[in-house]
Amino acid sequence: MGHDSGSSAGAGVESLSLDLLAHALAGVRDPRDRKSCRLASRAFARAEAASRRAARVLRREALPRALRAFPALSSLDLSACAGLDDASLAAALPVRLARASGVGWRGLEALVAACPRLEAVDLSHCVAAGDREMAALAAAGLRELVMDKCLGITDVGLAKVAVGCPGLQRLSVKWCREISDIGVKLLAKKCPELRSVDISYLKVTNESLRSVSTLEKLEDIAMVSCLFIDDDGLQMLSMCNSLQSIDVSRCHHVSSLGLASLIDSQRFLRKINAAHSLHEIETCVLSKLSTIGETLTVLRLDGLEIFASNLQAIGSTCKNLVEIGLSKCNGVTDDGIVSLVAHCCDLRTIDVTCCHLLTNGALAAIAENCRKIECLRLESCPFISEKGLEPIATLCSHLKEVDLTDCRINDAALQHLASCSELLILKLGLCSSISDEGLVYISSNCGKLVELDLYRCSAITDDGLAAVASGCKKIRMLNLCYCTQITDAGLKHVSALEELTNLELRCLVRITGIGITSIALGCTSLIELDLKRCYSVDDAGLWALSRYSQNLRQLTITYCQVTGLGLCHLLGSLRCLQDVKMVHLSWVSIEGFEMALRAACGRLKKLKLLGGLRSVLSTELLQMLLACGCRVRWVDKPLVYEG
Amino acid sequence: MDLSQNHIHNQSAANLYYQFGSDNSFPGLGTQQQFPPFTSPFGASPSTNIPHMDWNPATMLDNLTFIEEKIRQVKDVIHTMVDSGGQLSCHQGEIAQKKQVVNADLTCLIVQLISTAGSLLPSLKNSSFLRHPAAGHMDMANHVGPSSGLVPNAMTVSEENKEDMCSPEDYEELFKGWTDGTIKEGIEIGNVLVEEQDMKDGDEGKDGENLPPGSCELLQLEKDEILAPHTHFCSICGKGFKRDANLRMHMRGHGDEYKSPAALAKPPRDASAEHELVKRYSCPFVSCKRNKLHKNFQPLKTILCVKNHYKRSHCEKSYTCSRCHTKKFSVMADLKTHEKHCGRDKWLCSCGTSFSRKDKLFAHVALFQGHTPALPSEEPKTCSDQISHAGSHQESTKVPNSMGSSFMWGASSGDNNALDIKGFDGCNDDFLSTANFGSFNLSFGPADGFTGEPSGGSFSMLPSEHFQSA
Repeated sequence: MGHDSGSSAGAGVESLSLDLLAHALAGVRDPRDRKSCRLASRAFARAEAASRRAARVLRREALPRALRAFPALSSLDLSACAGLDDASLAAALPVRLARASGVGWRGLEALVAACPRLEAVDLSHCVAAGDREMAALAAAGLRELVMDKCLGITDVGLAKVAVGCPGLQRLSVKWCREISDIGVKLLAKKCPELRSVDISYLKVTNESLRSVSTLEKLEDIAMVSCLFIDDDGLQMLSMCNSLQSIDVSRCHHVSSLGLASLIDSQRFLRKINAAHSLHEIETCVLSKLSTIGETLTVLRLDGLEIFASNLQAIGSTCKNLVEIGLSKCNGVTDDGIVSLVAHCCDLRTIDVTCCHLLTNGALAAIAENCRKIECLRLESCPFISEKGLEPIATLCSHLKEVDLTDCRINDAALQHLASCSELLILKLGLCSSISDEGLVYISSNCGKLVELDLYRCSAITDDGLAAVASGCKKIRMLNLCYCTQITDAGLKHVSALEELTNLELRCLVRITGIGITSIALGCTSLIELDLKRCYSVDDAGLWALSRYSQNLRQLTITYCQVTGLGLCHLLGSLRCLQDVKMVHLSWVSIEGFEMALRAACGRLKKLKLLGGLRSVLSTELLQMLLACGCRVRWVDKPLVYEG
Repeated sequence: MDLSQNHIHNQSAANLYYQFGSDNSFPGLGTQQQFPPFTSPFGASPSTNIPHMDWNPATMLDNLTFIEEKIRQVKDVIHTMVDSGGQLSCHQGEIAQKKQVVNADLTCLIVQLISTAGSLLPSLKNSSFLRHPAAGHMDMANHVGPSSGLVPNAMTVSEENKEDMCSPEDYEELFKGWTDGTIKEGIEIGNVLVEEQDMKDGDEGKDGENLPPGSCELLQLEKDEILAPHTHFCSICGKGFKRDANLRMHMRGHGDEYKSPAALAKPPRDASAEHELVKRYSCPFVSCKRNKLHKNFQPLKTILCVKNHYKRSHCEKSYTCSRCHTKKFSVMADLKTHEKHCGRDKWLCSCGTSFSRKDKLFAHVALFQGHTPALPSEEPKTCSDQISHAGSHQESTKVPNSMGSSFMWGASSGDNNALDIKGFDGCNDDFLSTANFGSFNLSFGPADGFTGEPSGGSFSMLPSEHFQSA
């Protein structure tokens, strides 16, 4: 769409006002299409410059330019920005800093000072962030703050935020293991506006829930794997009756009784996640479900003992269910699914992963009742065959995601599925009977496919890839691991997928540097590439990658036949590269590693190296890596050639 | 305790038994070691000491006659035991009974002997130490003595009195006092004085026995006694000690005679106290609630309580914490306890208040608008537990510089700076603390100087100036 408007109406566009153009641009969602627009006409470029509100910066150098170019930015995603440091942050905006391990409190202070309107910050996975960073942020009076896995944050940091941001509405402190009841108590006292709280994986007890229950506006609470919380805590939480979403998954001390007492006081509950917490769902919960039967849309009961009668009760009370999760539930049978879907015709997502007893009958019932189904996860349901998928494919035209991993389906099943033209995600891992023929069916009609997983589909050859590449141009994620018949010719086809971002080629022993070169030339958007155990890939491949794959962020070259020279060149030139796994590079000398790592120092965030190198590499280098926020995983696996 | 007492009792009894020589059935290496101190008073003391003393010969003669008579009685009993032992037909119970009689009589003898000998010594003549107990035991002995002629009666009586007499323990105590007394120096021995105090208490306790049961013995130490820093003094050099055990260890340096097990043994004072009435103490400070004249009088339980109470309540708080310079104490132990925790108030509020516990800080923060928990570096004024030494202080200042400003989170941020500023404070504290220590030493100066004077004699001047001013 963007391409057409840009190329055909070059002159006419100039006469339109910026507002109109901006309005038109708002309809263009794909960033590549937007880019086409910008290139086609200066008017579009001006319009976008004036109206653009969100930006995702990939490289540090681009940040100041981006900020100058888009003065109206209200949201900035720096999570992919390599080597971000305090200096870069001096002038920024509502920020997503996820995984920006190089950002310290000085930068955040400058950020807060520069952006008086800053409202939302995402610091998730900034593992080194601590209380001082929180103190810097607290001055901003934020409304939203995500600090998942900021390991250094303690109660003091939380208190800083609580006191500094009284208007806080959404807070996630997942994985901040130092935060305790005391901090949560103060938070609840100081931030009465809180609507969403995530205290997952904290070592908090029922006392925290007692504090949280005083939040009158609380709608959404997640407490995944809070092992010290039990039924009493849920009983206390029932004090607040405006809850819309509860996540008690993996809270092993929560039982049906506690959940029932919590549900009982709620009227607006939309979402319950009780996965892996209750042992089984008892009648007390089922009977209370009726009070929220009208509002409940999402119910996840993964890992519980669920019988047909339970599913029938759920189906008859919660008629508006949109999503149900039953993955790894023992006792789920065709009868249960039939009685569940009989009343829930709005279901869009059904997760029955590892429900080993299900057969084609269940699929038939789903197809018959849930015409709006969009996502069907059927991994490891071994009795499912093409006969079950046929009604699904014919009746459920909205199907977008199907997971058939390990389902022993064949090409005929894919022939049926091909009629689902809306299909975006198709996972066929471990379906070893799938051949090129099946891929031809899929590529003939599923042009919107974004993700295709062919893990260990060992019958796939280059011809199948040729079909996929010609039919499914939108594919972004492609997994071809252990499809050992694939050669450089196949990769040549794959290189036609311009939007490809994630490509996994693990253990493709036949591909060489030539194939990688074609990938690097064609797939310029590539972000993640896995070449582990591609024994024939050599320096030529790395040269091509270092020259053309400027967006590459994650790379695995373990067991590749590369030398120090290639490695140096690769690490020295790829400016977005953050995560490199390079174990067992037998042809790379110690000096090679040393040089290569020095070249990339400051950008890398994660490294996986052979344990033996730890004592050989210079301590200065290791300290430098550490100081730049890079974490090194030392691996002590023996050198084993497979495949 | 009881077991060990019995053991001591039996051992000493067996000892005497052996010593009197009629039967060798209880020999033992352990007991033989105790001979020298035992034999010497028997043999030497009456004759050698007589010329020096102003003593009453009539009393002495009476005593010796009594002892003679007593020895004869014991010998008789033992003779019968030897005879019946040869026949092997006697009942076990009968032998046991006779042994008890012998024990009682021998104990009586020893007490008599020692009191007789002890009264000859000039240094102890006027002290109540030997006079009172000697008199007490004399009464006992006299009471037992005549009736012991009839074996069954003697047995019952001695059993009745055994509890009160506590013969072995009392004996050891007396004996210890006696050996102390033989030290030639004419110094008034602090140790003895203290024991005199104790014995006086014991006398009061004996008097208290006439009082209705359940009532406790009430004592009131005087201010000087309470505040005396040392209560045990070496009779030779005059050095003062807080603990008798330390004094005994010290005495070893004055000669081999103080190295004997008996001299080093702990005087079993507590054991004898067990049988006495519960003691309670009154504070000498009139109008104090702990004073016996107070209408809601609440007594103190031990002498230590008295000391601590008096110092805490009625004395100046002269010990200042060297860290915070604000907290003052009158009891050294209180200061030390405080110093352990002083500066541990690591939970700081932005308002400068510090707390020892996180929950207290958070409760405070919750209560006041705008207050937040302070990060360590934010409050340079407040004192914190990580008062670093000068070395670490300098190191910590170097670290941030070397790290550069744009580096990662943890390494250069936070803690080092915190240490930096705290380190500065720490130095300050150290400086002041040494100054304080100087004054602290000064305050103890007079007391130390005093103990050096051998003839000071009384405790009334012992307390240092600030105590008296209290």
